[in-house]
Amino acid sequence: MEILDKLINVALIAATLRTTAPILLVALGGSFTTKAGIFNIGLEGQMLAGAFFAVIGSIWTGSAFAGVACGVAAALAFALAFAVLVVTFRANEVVVGLALNILAGGMTISLMKAIFGTRGSIVGHGIVGLPKVQIPGAQALLGSWAPLISGFTPIVYVAFIAVPLLVLFYNRTRLGLYIRVVGEKPEAAEALGISITRVRYIASLLCGLLAGLAGAHLSLGYITMFTENMSSGRGFMAVAILIFSNGDPLKVLAGCLLFGFADAFSLRLQTFGFPSYLVLTVPYVVALTALFVLSYQARPKIIKETLASMQKLLSTDRNSASVDKNPQ
Amino acid sequence: MSNAPGSPPLHSTSAMAVELAAITKRFGAFIANDGIDLVVRRGEIHAIIGENGAGKTTLMNILFGLLQPDEGSIRLNGETTVVADPAAAIKAGLGMVHQHFKLVPSLSVADNVFLGMEIRRHGLIDHAAQIERTRDLSKRFGLHVDPTERVGLLSVGIEQRIEILKVLVRGARTIILDEPTAVLTPQESRELFQTLRSFVAEGMTVIFISHHLEEVMEVSDTVTVLRNGRKVATRPTSELSKDELVRMMVGREVSFDRRPRAALHGGAVLEVKDLWARDDRRLPAVRGASFTVRAGEVVGIAGVAGNGQTELAEVLSGLRPASHGEAWLKGRDLTMLSPAAIREAGLAHVPGDRMVRGVDRNASIAANTLMGRQHRAPWSRGGVLDWKAIAGNAGALIKSFDIRAQGSGDPVKRLSGGNIQKVVLAREFTNGADFLLIDQPTRGVDIGAQEAIHDEIMRQRAAGRAILLISVQLDELAALADRILVMFNGRIMGEVAGDDADEDRIGMMMAGVSPELEPA
Repeated sequence: MEILDKLINVALIAATLRTTAPILLVALGGSFTTKAGIFNIGLEGQMLAGAFFAVIGSIWTGSAFAGVACGVAAALAFALAFAVLVVTFRANEVVVGLALNILAGGMTISLMKAIFGTRGSIVGHGIVGLPKVQIPGAQALLGSWAPLISGFTPIVYVAFIAVPLLVLFYNRTRLGLYIRVVGEKPEAAEALGISITRVRYIASLLCGLLAGLAGAHLSLGYITMFTENMSSGRGFMAVAILIFSNGDPLKVLAGCLLFGFADAFSLRLQTFGFPSYLVLTVPYVVALTALFVLSYQARPKIIKETLASMQKLLSTDRNSASVDKNPQ
Repeated sequence: MSNAPGSPPLHSTSAMAVELAAITKRFGAFIANDGIDLVVRRGEIHAIIGENGAGKTTLMNILFGLLQPDEGSIRLNGETTVVADPAAAIKAGLGMVHQHFKLVPSLSVADNVFLGMEIRRHGLIDHAAQIERTRDLSKRFGLHVDPTERVGLLSVGIEQRIEILKVLVRGARTIILDEPTAVLTPQESRELFQTLRSFVAEGMTVIFISHHLEEVMEVSDTVTVLRNGRKVATRPTSELSKDELVRMMVGREVSFDRRPRAALHGGAVLEVKDLWARDDRRLPAVRGASFTVRAGEVVGIAGVAGNGQTELAEVLSGLRPASHGEAWLKGRDLTMLSPAAIREAGLAHVPGDRMVRGVDRNASIAANTLMGRQHRAPWSRGGVLDWKAIAGNAGALIKSFDIRAQGSGDPVKRLSGGNIQKVVLAREFTNGADFLLIDQPTRGVDIGAQEAIHDEIMRQRAAGRAILLISVQLDELAALADRILVMFNGRIMGEVAGDDADEDRIGMMMAGVSPELEPA
């Protein structure tokens, strides 16, 4: 019991929210492209570029927010390249996404070497991290539960506020509706004179915006440094969550919270002396298990249908030309 | 019938809603519409009837701005109009309900109806107002539908109502429906007709495309018959009888250019006993068909398209399950076999839609003549294809079937319709099968190729093959068949000997009149 208390407490929940934020942002970004009918595997690269250029911008300008803007701009550039190749030139979206991911990985490493002469990571150099927002009155109102709503960086708040905003966007705005129509039934959009190309460009750029914010959160949020491949597969996890949530903001939130919780929990476990490499796999194992369970749940239906059709076949075989089983 | 034609115009100075003059449309060498004149009065239900490929849909697509005519002019409400695109047509008060619906499954009915012209308040979509207006419209015209329901959960019949509502909400006064009943159950069709009558009761105009005689007789005020891209006639429905209509559709000047033949009937090859099958809507499409095809005999199946012939062919070739009954091919029941097993058992199939089921249009002539026998010698040895032998064989077939092509490596899509059909015949007729199922062999084929195809079918008959020939062209059946069975509404109405094929008698049966009821 004592160990459990130590493992699961307010600090863990607060940590969960913190670790959820980047993957939530990038997944919400991917929600735009998913809804618009684009399979965007390039989230990882956009996020990584966002993280790197946020650090660069922060060093150059000495401002965390200018750094965030730089990170977003870089992610937007990647998103634009993706849109040009996929939407305008109809290149294969998986190939383009992968290529841009590899480009982002290689580019950040070479630029790091060129600018800072180091490999591995950028620490110091006057990186300015994002400030933490202390919500006035939180302490008085919630007492020891205050860390649940107060003391996060602005991007964390943005991530969670974005969820209801996206729900509203998809249900009540014309652009949100058109993004869904373009993804679900392009021929309907075409018949109504909605430009599929334009809508897909907008969706790609909105995706880049949020992926850039997610990247900036990684490098300027709770740790102010950039390391090689620091997105460490979050973009891919986001893709997995998107596939299973179909880009619905609330389902995306649920999937990301699960991943964030596992991430925060694994950090906890590390302090208990578990081997760190093993512990680092925990969030991915949890996420994969969840996805497996979800897909397995969908399975019985397929099995049932197969069984039903086999039975039908067997019974028609037995009494050869039998009476029709589907009366009107 | 609703409004009497010729009732006074309600909203405009012109009594004519639509006037098309000398519309011609060509696709390459093929003339889809050949100088068609069409006048539709305001406030009438005007049916456009004709066989598949008669040019009905092309004509309506031109009217709605989806296609541009090569020649001819369009007047809407008495004004000459260039219908550059569908937007222009909608602006002029036209609305079209297509055969294939374009609805978004995850959106509600109301969202689909207002898609592209959303009602907004403070920049946000006002769902309540959209639902309200959808409900009003659906009540007013008897288009029963719950505006809040998700479209993905609804039946095809209701989807059609939504498409009609979409057209109404955009202010259409003249509504074009392309084969609206093709996807409906009889009950839904009746409801649709009531809705159409309520439209004309409000002074609107309805144009609907069909190849179903019954419904045209039931609901329309005026009928225009098209055949092979030309207009045959426009007549008030009340002055027409069903078999007159049939004769106009399939051609009055049937040429009974009967092929000479020797009687050489052998034993029964195909025996069909009380066969039933359902169509894609799960409605009975073949109802208790029984017949026999003997060796050295051509049995024709006549009927207006859509009376179960397609489904019958699909059952016999294993592409559609039979719901009841048997079909014995040389002692084996086809209804229990897969398409491949049926072919092994001795079926050659010339499918009605050659581009979908007859050929792979991107593959070469050689590859197309190979299909279905690639595992056999001499085309392959030890599981490896012998392309030399395949090309050699294809070359021989190109010669013997007179396929006009550069060589056996030519992709099939470069050939004309007639030559593509010859590729199918060349493959199917050299398979050694005893039973040939031939569906619409000369659809969309030029006269020269038609003759060649007919010659080839007669050669197969002389070789002792049993042939079932399905065709909507009466003259083709009269020229080739030893016996003609007439299908109507899934049933075989009767049989006529090919030697005394009587256009009137066949026409009556095609229109659903049983020969026994007919006074002798």
